[in-house]
Amino acid sequence: MKQAIILLNPRLLSFKNKGFAKDRSIRLIIFAGIGLSFWAGIFAICYRVLMYFQRVEDLGNILAYKLLSMVLLIFFSLLIFSSILTSLSNLYMSKDLTLVHSLPVSSEKIFLAKCIESTIDSSWMVVVYTIPVFISYGIVFKAGPFFYMDIVLSLFPLCIIASALSSIMVLVVVIILPASRIRSIFVFLGLALLIILYMTFRLLRPERLVNPEDFASLLSYMDNLSAPSSSLLPSTWAFDSLKAALTGDVSYALFNVTLSISCAVFLIFLSILIAKAIYFKGFSKSQASIVRLFQHKRERLDKLFSFLSGPTKSFVVKEIKTFLRDQTQWSQIFLIGALIVIYTYNFSVLPIEQSPIKTVYLQNLLSFLNVALAAFVLISVTARFAFPSISIEGSSFWIVRSAPIPIRTFLWIKFFIYLFPLLILSEILIVVTNLFLNVTPFMMYLSIITILFMTPGVVSLGIGLGAAYPDFNSENPAHIVTGFGGLVFMIISAAYIGAVIVLEAGPVYTIFMSGIRGESLSYFQLLWIIGSFFTAFVISVLAIILPIRFGEKRLIAHSSTGNS
Amino acid sequence: MIDLINLSKHFGNIKAVDRLNLSVSSGELFGFIGPNGAGKTTTIQMIGGLLAPSEGSVMIDGIDMAKEPEKAKRKIGLIPDRPFLYEKLTGIEFLKFTADLYEIGEEVFLENTEKLLNMFSLIDRAHELIESYSHGMKQRLIMSAALLHNPPLIVVDEPMVGLDPKGIKMVKNLFRSLVKKGTTIFMSTHTLRLAEDVCDRIGIINNGKLIATGTINELKHTAQIGEADLERVFFQLTEEEIPL
Ligand SMILES: Nc1ncnc2c1ncn2[C@@H]1O[C@H](COP(=O)(O)OP(=O)(O)OP(=O)(O)O)[C@@H](O)[C@H]1O
Ligand SMILES: [Mg+2]
Repeated sequence: MKQAIILLNPRLLSFKNKGFAKDRSIRLIIFAGIGLSFWAGIFAICYRVLMYFQRVEDLGNILAYKLLSMVLLIFFSLLIFSSILTSLSNLYMSKDLTLVHSLPVSSEKIFLAKCIESTIDSSWMVVVYTIPVFISYGIVFKAGPFFYMDIVLSLFPLCIIASALSSIMVLVVVIILPASRIRSIFVFLGLALLIILYMTFRLLRPERLVNPEDFASLLSYMDNLSAPSSSLLPSTWAFDSLKAALTGDVSYALFNVTLSISCAVFLIFLSILIAKAIYFKGFSKSQASIVRLFQHKRERLDKLFSFLSGPTKSFVVKEIKTFLRDQTQWSQIFLIGALIVIYTYNFSVLPIEQSPIKTVYLQNLLSFLNVALAAFVLISVTARFAFPSISIEGSSFWIVRSAPIPIRTFLWIKFFIYLFPLLILSEILIVVTNLFLNVTPFMMYLSIITILFMTPGVVSLGIGLGAAYPDFNSENPAHIVTGFGGLVFMIISAAYIGAVIVLEAGPVYTIFMSGIRGESLSYFQLLWIIGSFFTAFVISVLAIILPIRFGEKRLIAHSSTGNS
Repeated sequence: MIDLINLSKHFGNIKAVDRLNLSVSSGELFGFIGPNGAGKTTTIQMIGGLLAPSEGSVMIDGIDMAKEPEKAKRKIGLIPDRPFLYEKLTGIEFLKFTADLYEIGEEVFLENTEKLLNMFSLIDRAHELIESYSHGMKQRLIMSAALLHNPPLIVVDEPMVGLDPKGIKMVKNLFRSLVKKGTTIFMSTHTLRLAEDVCDRIGIINNGKLIATGTINELKHTAQIGEADLERVFFQLTEEEIPL
């Protein structure tokens, strides 16, 4: 145990050494501010929902408890999924493994240290953002102090159970998979996630909630939901314990906590035993490098881009190849695929026809909302792929610096590489969802054009800000966007999209209303409409040019001061 | 001190190390040479317990690496070719970390670190973050960490890469003096002059197979070259063309 704790020291010390850098305090305040407002938002929403439930006669408590059991089930599955990813990377891909495995520490102690790390890594965020939910239960149900203690007592073992289960899974999967496929594990994980998400979604059937006629069937629906809360699921123990604590049944609450804790302890020992037997074997196996999943003919890509000049072509080809060969990227693609499937699926089941306010107004509103949502998907895809694309050059960035092309060209290459796939993606998205929504041809054209201008703006923001705030040392591209630069990117692109939509929505509303009333537009209105669209156009052009310039300047300054 | 018995490692179809049999006795400085991709690093990683062999076994001072890895690793000071360092730690914090894992007492730690940091001229920079170190300084820090627990066996992959002439000279002398005190050193290198200067015995590996071992003179005899240096022997035995 002592050695396992020593193994955690570097992480703590690094944290300490990093934490005292001067320029961090502003960022910390911004982060804390945003985090806190999220937290408060979750609390407010949950509190209002629960208050609303309280007013529903008879059903109120049932609904509240159902919601609680759902929250816990989702909490537990989120924990499992995120711990699978973190324990996989902590146990097999972390850079310090070659050092610690050469030291005289047994592999199960390394395993234990890495597991403690991944438990914390994977659960702190989930815990922090579900705490307001539980607190609002406490307040609404006027629970005593024991309930708040019980929150900690029941969530803590749940985190440990999730982490231990996932690490056992990872240990076994790595041993079973052939060595050359270990890194493709992400593909399997991504697929699994896609299926799980789809199933959960089908199971929950949220569209039923929209339809008030179905309220009677809502009851049976809610009842159906109790099916997954089998008494063998750890999340059910937590639910039973919290429910008992809410109603003041201390002994039953503690009984369930004891159940969770003993399961957690058992799983810890089991995982250590398994680790002792197979962890080193798996680690040694995972050291063998990758056999490629896709074999490309070099000449084919070369020929395809033969219209480009030499250095530009070689960067384009390199960019495409590294992307295709990096299989960790694929899990993310699946994730985003799932997001998009769910997003469009939402539209296809939305009962618009039954809606009481079936007006042009509503349709207009919906189609603008749709543009905003598509833009949101676009931002998240850009954040995941385009934004880190400079940082993942990592220690090979010197090649770019020493190559005979200017940094700006390099950034523009990156821009175009990400622009085309993203443009195709978002146009397909907007057209399909618009078809589901049955929008007017005018709105269809308008949203297609809007997306046509928005996508380059967002991609340019991603590339430019990614270059302005690079992180060449990061081991995982998914972490890069969680930094300060990523935050700046999110805020600016959200503001940009908001501005464009507001600039367009006003005029469009005027046009529609005058169309309905059969009036023609006044000279002043016409001027305003043109001015508004023109402003949106100018903003979009600026959004394409300025970020790349900014990124170039910062990147050059960054590499000449040499701090990283 | 080291006994490699039928040691093999396969990566897919590649036989990185192929049925290697080798013994290095106590107090010997053994040089391990061979072309790029011959299997030196793979062998060293198996000796260091970083990689499980596909077949065969590694014995360190009579201890089986596969059976009692901690006990065996305690005897080794490993200096890998591409070492990992926690960049956000200071030099001294890094040394403390390794010392804790080798369970070195506080007094011995202080005494040894001071001696080593002085020897490797790192004493002035010991409290700075490792990320601010130069390549050579990092190499020196790794060596200090490996020597911290006075290991009876030192395993080095490419020791001189990145060191300045003074550093090279110092390491050479250090190795010789350690060997004189009974330490065993297993060293892979591309610097044939270095091997010729300091090694007691040399092994040549090619395509995962050990093709010759012996003192310089014995190797010359095997290669049937009279008055030639190790370079000629190397080219002769690995059957590579001598570049112009
Ligand atoms: N992790 C790995 N995955 C797959 N193959 C590997 C791996 N490591 C080494 N190999 C292969 O094993 C063989 C031996 O490699 P090794 O690194 O041991 O050579 P080396 O003698 O150290 O070469 P160098 O002088 O260049 O350092 C090479 O053919 C290499 O391609
Ligand atoms: Mg090597």
